[in-house]
Amino acid sequence: MAPYPSVFKDETKLDISYVPYKLPHRDRELRLLMEFFGFLLRVPDKMTQRIIITGDVGTGKTVLSQRFGANVIREANRQGINLRYIHVNCREYRGSLFLIVHHVVSIFHPNFPRRGYSAEELLNILLQILDDQKTHIILTLDEFESLVERENSEAVYKLTRLQEIRLNKPQRISLICILRNLKVIEKLDASTRSTLQSNIIHLKRYLKQQLVDILNNRVLVAFKHLTVPEDTVSLTAELAFSENGNARFGIELLWRAGKYADAENSGMVTPECVRKAASSIYAVTRKSDLASLRIHEKMFLLGIARFFEQCEKAYASLTETEQAYAVVCEEFDVQPHSHTQLWKYLRTLSALGIVKTEVSGTGSRGRSTIISLPRVSAYELEKELSLLLQKEKP
Amino acid sequence: MNVEDVLSSRLRMKILKILMQVGELNVSKIARRLGANYTTTDKHLKVLEDEGMIKRKLFGRIRLYRLNESSPKTQAVQNLITVWEHANKQHTTNSW
Ligand SMILES: Nc1ncnc2c1ncn2[C@@H]1O[C@H](COP(=O)(O)OP(=O)(O)OP(=O)(O)O)[C@@H](O)[C@H]1O
Ligand SMILES: [Mg+2]
Repeated sequence: MAPYPSVFKDETKLDISYVPYKLPHRDRELRLLMEFFGFLLRVPDKMTQRIIITGDVGTGKTVLSQRFGANVIREANRQGINLRYIHVNCREYRGSLFLIVHHVVSIFHPNFPRRGYSAEELLNILLQILDDQKTHIILTLDEFESLVERENSEAVYKLTRLQEIRLNKPQRISLICILRNLKVIEKLDASTRSTLQSNIIHLKRYLKQQLVDILNNRVLVAFKHLTVPEDTVSLTAELAFSENGNARFGIELLWRAGKYADAENSGMVTPECVRKAASSIYAVTRKSDLASLRIHEKMFLLGIARFFEQCEKAYASLTETEQAYAVVCEEFDVQPHSHTQLWKYLRTLSALGIVKTEVSGTGSRGRSTIISLPRVSAYELEKELSLLLQKEKP
Repeated sequence: MNVEDVLSSRLRMKILKILMQVGELNVSKIARRLGANYTTTDKHLKVLEDEGMIKRKLFGRIRLYRLNESSPKTQAVQNLITVWEHANKQHTTNSW
């Protein structure tokens, strides 16, 4: 077998730290952020802004604000405004206001001592530094939850109110707070909350097609031409969609699938690579689930597994799986069950989460059922089922 | 002060070397690197500051020192240190 070169062109484009230039399906939010900060670019000394970004895991909160940060700095530089974008993940500083502000201060003074003063003093020092350097900052507090959990309202209040008490001095610090759920800030007292809750941008979960667009963009920059077929992207998006529309899950899955493709020297990221990658992420489908299936359910599932193993597709029609089942019946020398019974079996398998069934569009050919194997590798499944069926051979 | 008075101090030369290496540092950290106590360190810093060779910045109770790069004296000493260390390195490789 002649070894294929890697399917990857540039793996770093699948890193969590990579910030793409274009964020499909987040243009509106990006524009909104720019508008919110528009006046800051016009009269930087007079105003600051406070924004909250919320949304479930993997909805692009972090990447959105980082993209915005890069864009707004480019714009500020063009206009000769001294502005910096600073992105801090609060969890990395165990939610401590002191450590977070220390991190910001040490961007300006790298050897700034860690001891001998309070968080509040440090905040004032930060303002002094910004005054000295005539600089403004947009400070993004990512995973803001951990700050709220660790500190009391007072700390958050200090952070937000700090500059308002500096009379006749230029404004310096704008805030973007990122959190999954607004509920977290209900813990804070009312006045603190009111200083935060001005502009809220909520990111909705991605739909499957949106995930397809996001993944396709990554495929273009991370993989070599023609190594990732459409079906692979579709299946990956499907899985990410069922993981609450988590784009990170999808991107990571794609990366792992590429690794499987390389390990097998296949030169192509097939849907089976995705299934293998997925089953390495999910807990493998429980073997007891398989063992408890009735014999024709097992044979039907074996047919489905073989179908996917052989054809490198992500989806099968009911007819295709029935044909595959018929071949299995021949092999075991039993009469195939009826179409209606197979329907029931399919419902059982889908209830167990082993297969996924969907009714596809109402095209000219009418509605049809499409079947996929979302979480398990067809190869693993076939191996396991063959073993079980050997044991109970009629 | 005369050049021999300023530069004859081992600790003062070391302070200049440290600041050349790390850029900016507060008093207690300089003291730790010198292996000297706070008061002694402070005294030497004062001399260098009076000569205009280093600059101080105050943040609340924190004092940060760095070289005054625009002072010709500082530039001269920086040169001296660089040349000196370069020559020493050459010497060790030659003696091989
Ligand atoms: N619209 C998009 N276009 C391109 N890539 C995206 C988009 N949305 C998310 N991503 C990518 O998906 C991954 C997850 O996004 P991100 O880290 O921003 O999610 P998050 O909302 O911050 O999640 P969490 O709540 O777990 O922190 C990242 O790799 C990011 O680059
Ligand atoms: Mg995030």
